[in-house]
Amino acid sequence: MAKQPILDGYRILDFTQYLAGPSATRLMAEMGAEIIKVEMAPYGDPSRAFPYRKHKRSAYYVQQNRGKKSLCLDLKDERSQAVVRELIRECDVLIENYAPGVIGRLGFGWEQVRELNPKLVMCSISAFGQTGPLSHLSGFDYIAQAYAGVTSVIGEPDRPPSLPMLAIGDVTTGVHAACALGFALLDVHRTGVGQHLDISLLDCYFHQHEVNVQAYSASGGKIVPRRAGSHHYAVAPTGIFRGPEGYIMILALLHQWPVLCKAMGREDLIKDERFKTNELRVANLQELIELIEGWLQRFPTDAAAIEALQAVRVPVAPILTVPQAIAHPHHRARGTVRTVSDRMLGEFDMPGMPLRFSAHPDLPELQAPFLGEHNGEILTGLLGYDAAAVAELERAGVLVSAAH
Amino acid sequence: MQPRHVLDGFRVLDFTQYLAGPSASRLLVEMGAEVIKVEIAPGGDPTRLLPYRKNERSCYYVQQNRGKKGLCLDLRDARGRELLERLVATSDVLLENFSPGVIARLGFGWERVRELNPQIVMCSISGFGQDGPLAELQGIDIVAQAYAGVTDLIGEEDGPPALPLLSFGDVNTGVHAVAAINAALLNRTRTGKGQWLDISLLDCYYHCHEINVHAVSASGGALAPKRSGAHHYAVCPLGIFKGSRRWFMLMGSLHFWAPLCRVMEREDLIEHPDFATNEGRCARRGEVVALIEGWLQAQNDDDGVLARLQEARIPCAPVLTVAETIAHPHFRQRRTVRTIHDRHIGDFDIPGMPLRFSDYPEITELEAPLLGEHNAEILAGIGVAAEEIAALTQAGVLVGGDR
Repeated sequence: MAKQPILDGYRILDFTQYLAGPSATRLMAEMGAEIIKVEMAPYGDPSRAFPYRKHKRSAYYVQQNRGKKSLCLDLKDERSQAVVRELIRECDVLIENYAPGVIGRLGFGWEQVRELNPKLVMCSISAFGQTGPLSHLSGFDYIAQAYAGVTSVIGEPDRPPSLPMLAIGDVTTGVHAACALGFALLDVHRTGVGQHLDISLLDCYFHQHEVNVQAYSASGGKIVPRRAGSHHYAVAPTGIFRGPEGYIMILALLHQWPVLCKAMGREDLIKDERFKTNELRVANLQELIELIEGWLQRFPTDAAAIEALQAVRVPVAPILTVPQAIAHPHHRARGTVRTVSDRMLGEFDMPGMPLRFSAHPDLPELQAPFLGEHNGEILTGLLGYDAAAVAELERAGVLVSAAH
Repeated sequence: MQPRHVLDGFRVLDFTQYLAGPSASRLLVEMGAEVIKVEIAPGGDPTRLLPYRKNERSCYYVQQNRGKKGLCLDLRDARGRELLERLVATSDVLLENFSPGVIARLGFGWERVRELNPQIVMCSISGFGQDGPLAELQGIDIVAQAYAGVTDLIGEEDGPPALPLLSFGDVNTGVHAVAAINAALLNRTRTGKGQWLDISLLDCYYHCHEINVHAVSASGGALAPKRSGAHHYAVCPLGIFKGSRRWFMLMGSLHFWAPLCRVMEREDLIEHPDFATNEGRCARRGEVVALIEGWLQAQNDDDGVLARLQEARIPCAPVLTVAETIAHPHFRQRRTVRTIHDRHIGDFDIPGMPLRFSDYPEITELEAPLLGEHNAEILAGIGVAAEEIAALTQAGVLVGGDR
């Protein structure tokens, strides 16, 4: 018997667009759930227009929406609203990432949908949450990142903070949402009723402060987290060092410091008054950096220096560029990076499925939908509309589709 | 009886230490699971020693381990292993983040664990995964970050990369692990069987590349993401701007350019051939940044400027320091930050529970365990007699501490 995917049989009504929400339903699609992506007529998810594009097809959209079914309709039309109400009765989950209040004005707020389907789990994703003084603000990854105190601890101390060139917050918020949704579904098994989940970018970014919040608070403000460029402000040596060719990440935490000294052939440093404790090493960081970088320059290549440190188990890494990471044999061997094929774009690489199940292999054959590609299938197959009714809705512009 | 939270009645046997694994079991506790934290005698989780410490108690340890039950034992002793086998048989989840292979050498590899309990979900968390050429490397957040192509994208263009001073990767990996555990538990309601999960820091960091991987790959290398300091390399204006006193994150690209020009009373720039398109603005990034910063500073009123930009629905935020977030009314009202109490440290703040359920309020009364605090309770629960517990304690197989 062919194995059922892990979320086989679960049906998700997905009102999300852009990145945080679609990341959540992308993971669920990869676990075999049926995702009905509701796209707003006439253009659908705005990310369909994002670069990189080829043949009017966005690789960005494809990465986030493989394996979903697209239903594109005019949500302001009463006939569309009737379709959505019927779908709510047939789904296990409703997920949305509009600004707070919008889904209620569309007629699908929590109080409205729970009446239609008491078992439904609803998940709302927003930048700042459904409540609180900032909840009305428009939300993008970097905006919540700045409010979360995260941006302030990235970059050179005497320069403006630095902008990380990836949307860690949106993706992690999607993972948080998928996580909460699954537990609410598990709870439906016991209680028979669904509930509403309130997941925000701000909460999820702030959740990642493993040290800063407690250290500042418990020390009564004596420990002040601050950006410190390439090196940690409170632990040394921990940071990015100049190698013979490029940059190398090296950490020598408490017990690794003597190991690093030996590797450098400088056992004398273990007892050196300047470097005996972590506090002293932080205080004399500049000297420490010069010593380590001076030693690194003796190697012919970065790889040789990294190998020497890996041999004695001092944590070390090359700072890979994205093209280097894409080509790395480990990333390839594990499917951390994988090549997907899109009907319009052809083959290209994207990150792999990070959740790995021993009993369920990856689903490699997922396609991102064309706009409204599954309008007919959903209305006739799931809701029992006849072909003539679907054709009439298409003619009236209530249902929209495109060949890309 | 009304369950306390979604995981009420689930038992987790937690072999994890440091951060990624404990973040996962921390979330499971906050959802009501019983988490038995197995700590290795004599010292337990090494984070018990991490600063900031007060009264010999680590805030770091407390933040990650509230609500868990502490079982501290000698894993090399056959009697200790036998007790753990009995706990495996009664648990729903086994979680570990040792280097690949270590848990099997301790006698709890997946093949053995599934024999002991076919329904158990086992989750292994590691730096680079259970297989592949890098599997043997230590699992440390920023090491995986560097290998994931993430570090290279942070910092000034003409300098070394910058180190983000928080562990995105570890915490995020914990969340990924919880998502996978959940899917496996949900699947178990249908199949009756558990399975083994392989979650890695590298995969979870790499998973956050929402653009970079496909952009490089699909463009055949024509697009090359790069670090570019405070401003985005391909979108303008998008970045961090200096106000009269503080830094602002500001997005004036796409359809936000026109309203931004109106707020700055520079309507002439909306359709200006040099500035109307993103490409044009990227080519004149220096001018655009100077224009915006000049306007921000001329107002000499950072709060007023922020209010006007937000009023016009232009994405804009003050770059708050951690201290400012802790005091912010939005964070307090939503409990994005919350004050907790520890028996030895007293009151202090930690980040809130990011998963919010309408049917279950946050469980507020969680205490991080003292070393081996729940040895007797846990073992009595699986039928070990009090005399035997005393004998094992005497023999040093079970260990306790006053912190």
